[in-house]
Amino acid sequence: MIDRAKRLWGRKPSTLTSIVILLAMTGLTSYLRLYIFHDRHLSLTYGLPLLICLWYRDYRLLWSMAAAFIILSFVKAFHVLPDVDPADQWERVQWLFQVVNIVVIGSTVHAIIRLTEALHARNAELEVANEELRAKAEELAQQNEEIQHQSEEIQQQGETLRQQLEELELRNEELHRQGEELAAQSKELQTTNAELNDREVMLQTLLKTAGLHGSGQLVLEEICKMALALAGPGVECAAVTEKKGNELVIRAQAGVSSLQSDRWPYDSSLAAVVIKQGRTAGVHDLADRPDLIVPHAPGQDMRSSLATPIRVDDEIVGAMEVHSVRPHEWTTRQFELLEWAATQSGLIMQIHGLREGLEKLVGERTAKLHELVDELEHFSYSITHDMRAPLRAMQGFAGILMRDHSGLREEHVQYLKHIVESASRMDRLITDSLNYTKAVRTDLRLGRVDTQRLIEGIIRSYPNLQPPHARVNIIGVLPPVLANEAGLTQCFSNLLDNAAKFVHPGQQPSVTISAEQHNSSVKFWIEDDGIGISPEFEPYLFQMFRRASRDYDGTGIGLALVKKTCEKMGGKVGFNPGPGKGSRFWMELQSAEGATMPAEGNLS
Amino acid sequence: MTQHVLLYVEDEKGDVFFMRHAFQHIGASIVLQITTTGPEAIAYLSGTGTYADRMMHPLPTVLLLDINLPGCSGFDVLKWLRERPEFKSLPVIMFSSSTRPEDVQKARELGATDYREKPASGLDFSEVAEELLRKWMNEHPAASILPAPATSPSGRRAK
Repeated sequence: MIDRAKRLWGRKPSTLTSIVILLAMTGLTSYLRLYIFHDRHLSLTYGLPLLICLWYRDYRLLWSMAAAFIILSFVKAFHVLPDVDPADQWERVQWLFQVVNIVVIGSTVHAIIRLTEALHARNAELEVANEELRAKAEELAQQNEEIQHQSEEIQQQGETLRQQLEELELRNEELHRQGEELAAQSKELQTTNAELNDREVMLQTLLKTAGLHGSGQLVLEEICKMALALAGPGVECAAVTEKKGNELVIRAQAGVSSLQSDRWPYDSSLAAVVIKQGRTAGVHDLADRPDLIVPHAPGQDMRSSLATPIRVDDEIVGAMEVHSVRPHEWTTRQFELLEWAATQSGLIMQIHGLREGLEKLVGERTAKLHELVDELEHFSYSITHDMRAPLRAMQGFAGILMRDHSGLREEHVQYLKHIVESASRMDRLITDSLNYTKAVRTDLRLGRVDTQRLIEGIIRSYPNLQPPHARVNIIGVLPPVLANEAGLTQCFSNLLDNAAKFVHPGQQPSVTISAEQHNSSVKFWIEDDGIGISPEFEPYLFQMFRRASRDYDGTGIGLALVKKTCEKMGGKVGFNPGPGKGSRFWMELQSAEGATMPAEGNLS
Repeated sequence: MTQHVLLYVEDEKGDVFFMRHAFQHIGASIVLQITTTGPEAIAYLSGTGTYADRMMHPLPTVLLLDINLPGCSGFDVLKWLRERPEFKSLPVIMFSSSTRPEDVQKARELGATDYREKPASGLDFSEVAEELLRKWMNEHPAASILPAPATSPSGRRAK
């Protein structure tokens, strides 16, 4: 369009073309006017060829043609036409009209050309502007496209982000849910933990109180401590109270603030309320309850209380209370815990009461038994003593008869001998029984005993342990032991007497005493070469009234007495057949080495 | 010239016989006075009732006291005796078949001079008689001339 406009309207009129057109038009018009049309008509058409300049716009051509036509019209009008009088006025006006016609047409064409040119110029300008605009529009379109592209991309990213966000939100929600679940679990765990802690406190208190003997006071104090521990922070005092007449008496209490007065008016106490109603009750702030007495502690009054009745055998015996110096909202948990503590207190009080009763009963029975045993012992002593008197008489009279037997036959003397021996045996039986009872009954005081000296003393005082009756060898030096001298003398003399007694007739007994020092004990060995002990009899060796043989004199108490006495001294005694055919007894006692006990004096 | 007087408080006739026999046997010429119950012993010592005559019932130089007696026990007699200043220095020998440490302890606490277990055989009373003579009657300034103990010393009482 622009190119075409330029081609058609924008070119500069060429001078040569203008001259050609001028000559052609002038020639054509001259030919027509001067040679073809000899009339005066069509004078107005002189201006028409000027219209060609609408096609070929050249002012020089326009006005050249106009000038040429004016000349032509002049020529024709005044020179060519024969009948024309140049002086004629009409002729002149006619020509003038022709000239005006040419000038008007020429001016009109000029104006049109000018307008057209202006239009063209304007058009061209517009075209250029348009072009520019189009370019800009294109650019804009491109940019727009780019922007759109970017926008699309952004939108895509936005979408992705939105998706991610949604996902995140979902996860967040889930996490939140899990968090809540965890929090719930944690809370549950905390509750469980708290409960476990409480249970532990309870159990510890139970164990502690179960192990407490003596006064119920200690037990109640332990329960108060437990109640205090269970009630948690913000609780300063726990107490067990009891109704005594018109007063409320504090049986036991625990806490940082001790309640000052031991006795309160019962009727105006919270304990009275719970005891009467048989249920737990709490007061948030005692200031709101002027009808209730305020428990005092040094320097401060209690402001809040919780109390529950204590039951023993379904009977309310008192109240369990906890107090706070500040107003306190009592929780259900605290209610439950206090009730639990009160239940346990009741049980423990009951158990304690039962135990006290039992202990009292056991004590009474034990005392009665002791009395009975004492009586029996006294009885047995009296009897045995009284039995010894006739025995003494039998032995004595028979002995006198035997000493002065001039009127008696030999066999009668033998009978007397039997009487004396039997009486003597019975007396030994009685003394041994008495000794055994004594060993069972009495506690032996222990001390350091020089065994070597003790055994040498025994051998010296018993002729049947000395040559020519017997031979007793002591191997090495016997170490000292922790024992009772009288008891140990009894043990050793019985063992040595047995060793020397149970031999074949006519045999001189040979006894060997030796000792082994262990860490904290000493083991003595008493070995003989006598008749020995049959394996069948071994289990009964240390039993009362068991005798290995009737061929030998004895009461069957000796070894039982040794065992009992030895055990009383914290020792052991036993039989262990050695390589020889005789018997071998051992006795183990605590060593005196390192013992700080004083030497044991003779108690008799 | 005064003779030694031994007051033997004993309810057991056999024991009384053996003691008398023992002194005869060892040939000691002492006055052996017998009471058979606790109250009788107290009456003898305080010289009341039938015991008012001190010629017949002279005050003893030694008292041999059984524990198990009718009426009141030997301990009661001992207690009564030791509460009286005139008998503070009288040798009192408890003579019993009891070997109970409690009895020995009680005798000691109540002020017995000695404690002697009765022998198992009545024949062995002579040992006790010898010991009594030697320990409590020979040394006395008021002692009469008595035969020396015939037998060798039998040693201290063996438990």
